[in-house]
Amino acid sequence: MTDLEFNICVDDYSDGVYRFILKISKNKEDAKDIVQTAFEKLWVNREKVETLKAKSYLFTVAYHLMIDQLRKENKIVMTDSFDENTQTVSQGSSELKQLLLQAINNLNPTQKSLILLKDYEGYSYQEIGEIMQLSESQVKVYLHRARLILKNKLTHLEKMSA
Amino acid sequence: MINENNYETFFMSYIDNELNATERAAVEAFVLTEPKYAEELAIFEKAKLHAPNIEMEDKIFLYRFPEMQASLDDDFKKSLYRKEAHVRKALFTPNLMRASFAIAALFILLVGVQLFKTNTVIKEKTSFVSANNSSTNSKQTENTILPSKELDASLKNSNAAIVSSQPVNKKINLINISVIEPSTNSVIDIEKHSASNLINSNIINAEESQSALLVKLHETQIRSSAMETASNEETKNTNVMPTTYKEIDTEEEDRTINIGMLEIDGAAFRGITRRVSALLKRNKIEKEK
Repeated sequence: MTDLEFNICVDDYSDGVYRFILKISKNKEDAKDIVQTAFEKLWVNREKVETLKAKSYLFTVAYHLMIDQLRKENKIVMTDSFDENTQTVSQGSSELKQLLLQAINNLNPTQKSLILLKDYEGYSYQEIGEIMQLSESQVKVYLHRARLILKNKLTHLEKMSA
Repeated sequence: MINENNYETFFMSYIDNELNATERAAVEAFVLTEPKYAEELAIFEKAKLHAPNIEMEDKIFLYRFPEMQASLDDDFKKSLYRKEAHVRKALFTPNLMRASFAIAALFILLVGVQLFKTNTVIKEKTSFVSANNSSTNSKQTENTILPSKELDASLKNSNAAIVSSQPVNKKINLINISVIEPSTNSVIDIEKHSASNLINSNIINAEESQSALLVKLHETQIRSSAMETASNEETKNTNVMPTTYKEIDTEEEDRTINIGMLEIDGAAFRGITRRVSALLKRNKIEKEK
């Protein structure tokens, strides 16, 4: 990877990586640090990393850095269940988008990462599995579980609003 | 095939764009069968996120420019380093120092104990030894003095004989001086007696004729010089002080080691050396491990 290719990677992927990390960590400075570190690692390993795989490399590094940071701060709570009553009553009848974002924020980091990587970046199950070090079937199961939670949430809100 | 039990999985794979063309067609056909499935699929699509337009701040810091790869000259970098004096490594490691201190302390302690125990004994022994030494010295001096006395007596005799002949006296004195060289052995005394006898006979003859005597004296001088050389050679060989030897019982168990005025118990000393060697061996084995 040349200097020029690296700078093109910065142009193309830095916003995506930053958005992905920011949505999960919810801290701008942390997200900036993680993105900076990810690009530093890409620069150090630029001889080994192919330009075509630079995006998945950046997301992989950034995801693992974020998980490490969350573990340090004990922010990871592995809960597959979603408490519908407590979440919906407090929010009331707000806009669909905001409710959806709130529903996503109540997912655990793994589910959130799966949703973000799929919907924001358009990665396939296989690519998500490579980034998150999961099997394709695991990605499919976890992602479908997260989508069902979101769907139930929206259905519930629509009934409440009606 | 899609049915009521698995339609959700197909719907989610449909919105995730993970189905092939035939599967997608099958899902679309299934949705048309009942309106509730169409509603379900619409909710799934609503639950799908759309990427917001978020841009990273300070993106400029991520770019790499050739100027950023510029590095300083190595010589210039070295010139910036702080120059420190070379620190010599310690010869002894802390463990070795501790061990040596411990050994020294033990040695001092043992020597102190031995000194305390044997202080009175040493005093008694030293007084006894000094008394013995004084007696042996007196005997030795007597022995060594004896030959000198004999020599003097013999020389006196020769001098008495020489007194009668005044002209030759000076030459005889010369001979006497050459003869009275330090000699302690009795064998040499006998030879000197013979030499003095020869001188005496020569002196008697000298009374008869001075000229003949001078010739003979010359001969005696030659003889005496020869005798003198012989006696000197012998004295070199025999000039050894009498020595006394003390028998030591090597089978005695309570052997002691004398270092100057110190008297150390042999068994205790061996014990210390054994312990020290064991300690050193153990350290060596630990280092090897």
